[in-house]
Amino acid sequence: MFWEQLLNGLTLGSTYALIALGYTMVYGIIQLINFAHGEIYMFGAFVGLVLVTVFGLNIIVALVGAMIFCMFLGMLIERIAYRPLRGKSSRLSALISAIGVSIFLSTLMVLIRGPNTTRYPEIIKITTYNIGSISISSLQIIILALATLLMVGLQVMIKKTRVGMAMRACSQDLEASYLMGINVNRVISFTFAVGSALAAAGGVMVGVYYNAVWPYMGLMAGLKAFAAAVLGGIGSIPGAMVGGLTLGVLEIFGVAYLSSSYKDAIAFAILILVLIIRPQGIFGQKKIKKV
Amino acid sequence: MKKRLAVLLCVVMMLTLVVGCGGNSSNNEDVIKLGYLGAKTGSVANYGIPAEKGMKLAIEELNENGGVLGKELVGIYEDNKGENSDVAIIVDKYISRDKVAALVGDPCTGLTKVAADLAQKNEIVIFSPGATGDGVVEIGDYVFRNTLLDIFAVPAVVEWMIEEKGWGNMAVITTLDIGYSTDLTPVFKKAIDEKGAKIVFEDTINSGETDFTAQVTKLKNAKADVLVFTGYYTEAALFMNEVKKQNLDIVLVGGDGLYGQDLAKLGQNAVEERVIFYCGFSSDQPSPETAEFLEKYRAKFNEDPDMFSAQYYDAVMILAKAMEDAGSADPKVFRNELAKLKDYPGVSGNTTFREDREPIKSPVCLITIKDGEFTLLEQIDVK
Repeated sequence: MFWEQLLNGLTLGSTYALIALGYTMVYGIIQLINFAHGEIYMFGAFVGLVLVTVFGLNIIVALVGAMIFCMFLGMLIERIAYRPLRGKSSRLSALISAIGVSIFLSTLMVLIRGPNTTRYPEIIKITTYNIGSISISSLQIIILALATLLMVGLQVMIKKTRVGMAMRACSQDLEASYLMGINVNRVISFTFAVGSALAAAGGVMVGVYYNAVWPYMGLMAGLKAFAAAVLGGIGSIPGAMVGGLTLGVLEIFGVAYLSSSYKDAIAFAILILVLIIRPQGIFGQKKIKKV
Repeated sequence: MKKRLAVLLCVVMMLTLVVGCGGNSSNNEDVIKLGYLGAKTGSVANYGIPAEKGMKLAIEELNENGGVLGKELVGIYEDNKGENSDVAIIVDKYISRDKVAALVGDPCTGLTKVAADLAQKNEIVIFSPGATGDGVVEIGDYVFRNTLLDIFAVPAVVEWMIEEKGWGNMAVITTLDIGYSTDLTPVFKKAIDEKGAKIVFEDTINSGETDFTAQVTKLKNAKADVLVFTGYYTEAALFMNEVKKQNLDIVLVGGDGLYGQDLAKLGQNAVEERVIFYCGFSSDQPSPETAEFLEKYRAKFNEDPDMFSAQYYDAVMILAKAMEDAGSADPKVFRNELAKLKDYPGVSGNTTFREDREPIKSPVCLITIKDGEFTLLEQIDVK
């Protein structure tokens, strides 16, 4: 049972990790906790659903479609809700704006689809493989593989491309990057686009994995992913990946060996513990403020 | 100029209010009024809308046959939106302004309790065709209800599971943040204990969750014959989806909290003939009374009645019968007749009031899903 539960945990954790990446990337650059990020994930799941059921597209095409849609959605949100506030008002106003966007997006979806849970069709034929006493479903393999692929791709992009370099520069010092001739606004837009696309991929995967989507699914997932990002060290990309996976595994083990009643409590207990013991998270760097 | 117009409009509005009140307060004693309690909008409107139709049908039928005690029966239908505050205001209006003989409703336990407190204080009969929870009739001797109670249904269902199906090892799953579920679980556990079956696995979930992988993996290792699930339909459907994904072969049994169309929509082939729940009403294999009701209801509303329409219909009919028997529409008088109800053959099954006014309804309908539709599996008698 241990290995099966570990696998369950890794699958759940990889969806957290995909969402956590968006939080951490945006935070790394503009120090904003984008609370609307969970809703982008929810929109991704619904867009995927519509592409599959209404347009009859294949799941991979739908996944890409949802990612592209959310890329633009993320950029649009940044343009409308965050950019006008940047530099002019305190960081707190941007945070409140983010909460507003979050509420707006989830209620918008309630308006469009109604508040009830919608079934995600079974798109992928599920076969179960038995290795010894452990059974693995093909769906879990696909989700794990896809999540790994996306995360490796992200890492390569950040380390090897020019825009990745610009992003790293911006995360170190926004003003200095601007003075060096980097188009900071464009880099921020790009960061939102990438983060949102990853969240959308997570949304579609969760929809396929659990066969269900609903307008408020982003709220809890967003909070958990945020906890994962903090656990890994907010601002750190490997941190978000490790944090997400750790949180998923811990949650599943909590249910498996302690009690299901504490499932959500586990995530937030870990968050609090980390903040007490190692405030910068697993991979976070201690920032020394120079006066 | 604008200000004057506003003042003028205000005066006009107030006048219409006064006139409106005047029209209502002229109470004539030629009619007997019944106040409907239920939500026609809001989150529990799914219960209140069919309930209103059932009540209207009953009143129409009684009036066609000469009314009650030779007087016309009038229903008053306010929408309480499922909110406690609205219930209090509406009950107050029903009692003080409309001078109703009885209140029919609410479908929900919590709202019924709010209304029952007021009704008891004013010595008006309240008859809930839906409240299944604890502490309803205990409020006072003017409080009645007619619905299948879990404490009577569950032992019969558990016995059926053991005797008919041979399911001796049971798993029980509770939805922790749903009062309905945490109340129903002990009822099931007590019945399982008393009937000599074993609980081999117990776990909890929360509503709004979708990840049940860990629970299902545990369940798979527990070797249970059947899964008792006391929560609502959404989680049941998602749970069964995961059960199917992990190739587990188990049937889920639950209460009428599973009675929602979404169960079949969300679960599809994962719930097909794999879910059984009990409830007080089914339009399949009807008794002669139910068949007649079905026909009339379909003719009038062009849809199938549900449990709430049937129980509201019965509630009005039972109240009318008590008034006729007592020869009075005074709640103080006819409540005594009402309390004596025995073996009443209603459209939602047979009803007898116990000494403490708790209804014993029989039979219990076991419903399953076949081809995506709720289908009657079996009817079992409650002793």
